Amino acid sequence: MLEEMNILTNPNLATITGITDLATNIKLVQVQLDDPGVRKNFKYSPGQFAEVSVFGVGESPFGLASSSDRGDTIEFAVNRVGTLTEALFRLDIGDQVGVRGPLGHGFPMEDFKGNNILILGGGIGGAPLRPIIQTIFDHRKDYGKVTILWAARSPDLLVFTNEYDEWRSQPDVALHLTVDKATEGWQHDEGLITALIEKSKPSPENTITVTCGPPIMIKFAMLTLEKMGFQPKQNWVTLEAKMKCGVGKCGRCNMGGVFVCTDGPVFCFEEVKQFLESFV
Amino acid sequence: MKVTTQNKINEWLAGFLQKSVVIAPVETEGKFVYRQIEEYSQIAWDFERTDMPPKTAVFPMTEPILYIEQGSKTILKNPPLPKNKIVFGVRPCDARSMLALDALFINKEPIDPQYAHHRESVTLIGLSCPQMWDSCFCTVVGGAPNSTDGLDILITKVGDHYAVQTFTEKGTELTDKLISEEKDLAIPKPVLTENLPTLQKSGEWMELFNNIFWEELSQSCISCRACSFVCPTCRCFDVRDELTAFRPGVKEFERLRAWDSCTAAGYRRIAGGHNPRDTQNKRLRNRFYCKFAYYPDDFGPLGCVGCGRCIDACPAGINILEVITRVEQMTEREKVNG
Amino acid sequence: MTSLENQIRNSARKFLEDGQVSCVIGYERDARGRARPAFIVKADDTERLIWDSDCSLNLVNYLHSRKSPPGKDQPIPKTAVVVRPCDVRAIQLLINEQQLKRENIKIIGITCAGTDINHQLRTECEFCQERIPLIYDVLVEPEKPVELPASQDAYADIEEMESWSSEERFDFWTKEFDRCIRCYACRQACPGCYCFECVAEQVDPHWTSIALEVPEKMFFHVMRAFHLAGRCVGCGACEAACPMNIPLGKLNRKIAKEILELFGYHTGDNSENLPPLVCFNPDERLKI
Repeated sequence: MLEEMNILTNPNLATITGITDLATNIKLVQVQLDDPGVRKNFKYSPGQFAEVSVFGVGESPFGLASSSDRGDTIEFAVNRVGTLTEALFRLDIGDQVGVRGPLGHGFPMEDFKGNNILILGGGIGGAPLRPIIQTIFDHRKDYGKVTILWAARSPDLLVFTNEYDEWRSQPDVALHLTVDKATEGWQHDEGLITALIEKSKPSPENTITVTCGPPIMIKFAMLTLEKMGFQPKQNWVTLEAKMKCGVGKCGRCNMGGVFVCTDGPVFCFEEVKQFLESFV
Repeated sequence: MKVTTQNKINEWLAGFLQKSVVIAPVETEGKFVYRQIEEYSQIAWDFERTDMPPKTAVFPMTEPILYIEQGSKTILKNPPLPKNKIVFGVRPCDARSMLALDALFINKEPIDPQYAHHRESVTLIGLSCPQMWDSCFCTVVGGAPNSTDGLDILITKVGDHYAVQTFTEKGTELTDKLISEEKDLAIPKPVLTENLPTLQKSGEWMELFNNIFWEELSQSCISCRACSFVCPTCRCFDVRDELTAFRPGVKEFERLRAWDSCTAAGYRRIAGGHNPRDTQNKRLRNRFYCKFAYYPDDFGPLGCVGCGRCIDACPAGINILEVITRVEQMTEREKVNG
Repeated sequence: MTSLENQIRNSARKFLEDGQVSCVIGYERDARGRARPAFIVKADDTERLIWDSDCSLNLVNYLHSRKSPPGKDQPIPKTAVVVRPCDVRAIQLLINEQQLKRENIKIIGITCAGTDINHQLRTECEFCQERIPLIYDVLVEPEKPVELPASQDAYADIEEMESWSSEERFDFWTKEFDRCIRCYACRQACPGCYCFECVAEQVDPHWTSIALEVPEKMFFHVMRAFHLAGRCVGCGACEAACPMNIPLGKLNRKIAKEILELFGYHTGDNSENLPPLVCFNPDERLKI
């Protein structure tokens, strides 16, 4: 048994309760922590992440993709791109993994209250934004108008497609989709998310934006928003870096003097602009 | 001044060897490294500065942080607590490096319990330097050849005797049997290297981040990691699961942490291939900035103690002291022009 | 005949002034008097170039565009490089393996009297029969011709090792690898080692542990030696780079000797033959 609750080295054992296809090469993995005490206390805010272990293969960081207020099932989206994600794809319901977390800083949902929220999700980057959407819907009156711009390279790479109707059905919520390359039967926009942002003409007045996606997408989305009058301090992003220990010890994820794992992964873009090293 | 003799030191060490792990400098094929010794005669006394630092006593090159047994159930276990260790023959710069590592692993939340246990388990017995050696520059980064920071005990050779100073309770207790007499002995000041540059503050370094100097400097870097591996303060690590035993139905793994370096080409490459530090320029610049800007800004002490091992180890002739000098020159020039 | 250094400087200057290359890679002296690689882009800076027995790192390593990427969207530059006869064989190897293009390189070949490791003449240099590079654009010659060593046997020191029993050999290498810190400087300094992800660090497939135990370290070095079978040119860059003075040349050259005996192949001999373990040649016969 593990002698001490050591967030640096000791994962909590968890069992997979669901593993479903989310998009091409992307699965949604659902786990429940084995220890009932740990499970009850595992609360996190949108934007935080956890280091998930496939024992014998390794450990990788994943953004937590669901709100912890909605239950004690932990969800995260897995893109099959490397050794660990390949191993996760081969697991099944009932298999055990390790979960170390919650780690990092999440979005300041309290500070977002009273604002309109513009949500920009690119590809699997939509997954860490989903808990924001869920939290807003669970406290709908606390937030203003919600606009969700969801993008992917192609229609088969859009995530959470089975939830779009539910999102649209919420009061004062607009959902717009775009893909870089449409396929036959695609009924929505074709083009980069920057074109969609310009088309939807969001007003910077009293609005907070949250963006997650590939670094290049974040860079251009920020440029577009600034062109439309958004101040850097209104724009929030969540960044990815190769995080290993997740608690600021191993030195891997630094961008200049800032560690993505402990100072982020959520950052106000005003801060990101001052990073010595580019995040792209 | 409390003094002792070589013979008494040998007896003292022999006494420790009976009940403790003792780590001391030994010579192997012309290189001086810290190893566990069985007899005090194994100790090398005539080194200037060892080739590998004693940080291996608190931060081993590879160490398991978790044991995993995967059978019908998964069982996790932490490694056992480390045994008490006496580390003998630590140069003052290396003792200061332990304090720099403490600032990250212990003083900043969350504590790294494994490092903390190692640290608690060591007693550091220092050997003062009579002079600064060929590639040393401890004085540039706030140290000195006779600095006492971080040590439990410091021994200084003065003629036929050794002066003994203690700084902690642990040190005082341990030297009880060591002292031979009190003597009126003046410890000579160590000989310092002259004409060394002044280290600029992190703010000055930040101004020069995009200077073309870093590109020129890093052209000869081969991303070999030797500098980080001989460095007493470098602490970046990788974590891997390694198979240790295999029997029907059960696999045993250890989760190992191992030294790594930000100079390695694939250090920041993520699955999928994106690498924000894809050129030697960006990687080497990061290493220097980490030591002189990020580390002090984030944790307090500098990430460098001026031991000069990286200068000797680098196959491509990259010299950290030259870098400090150039930064000083570039900063002066900015002040004059600006 | 001007001195070696003057010849190097003059050739470098000419290449730069004529615009034939954008950079000359040679050696310069650092503040501590040691030789280190220099990257000269301005004709006047060619005065920094030197040559002495301390010049023991294989500069061909810097020509490989994967190991020294030219920068985002930059074309592969034309470069001149100062090389010893052993170094030049590495150029030939990389051309054969399609990693370099001959037209991108200008070779300043040194008539070599041998270089040092740790201030002592390299064992290989003591026995080397090849003092003039096989290919060059400019040949730099000393005032007095370099004498060839009397012994014809380039592998005399390896034969000595072969006379040991296998226990003695195993003990020898156990002692040497004990102080290896697995920094991979040897691999990074080697022009033949340019894999995007080395098998020693791969997680999938998981060939070896990253632990620093002697068996793991031995595995890495022996595996690297085998991956260099027929590709090692005996330049000694690995030994020069090793911070722990491990005599890696003994391992790699042992394999080079076996390749010579089995296939009659010496790496970098010409532009046609690929190393025997890299290609399949149905006409090849082992010289057993």
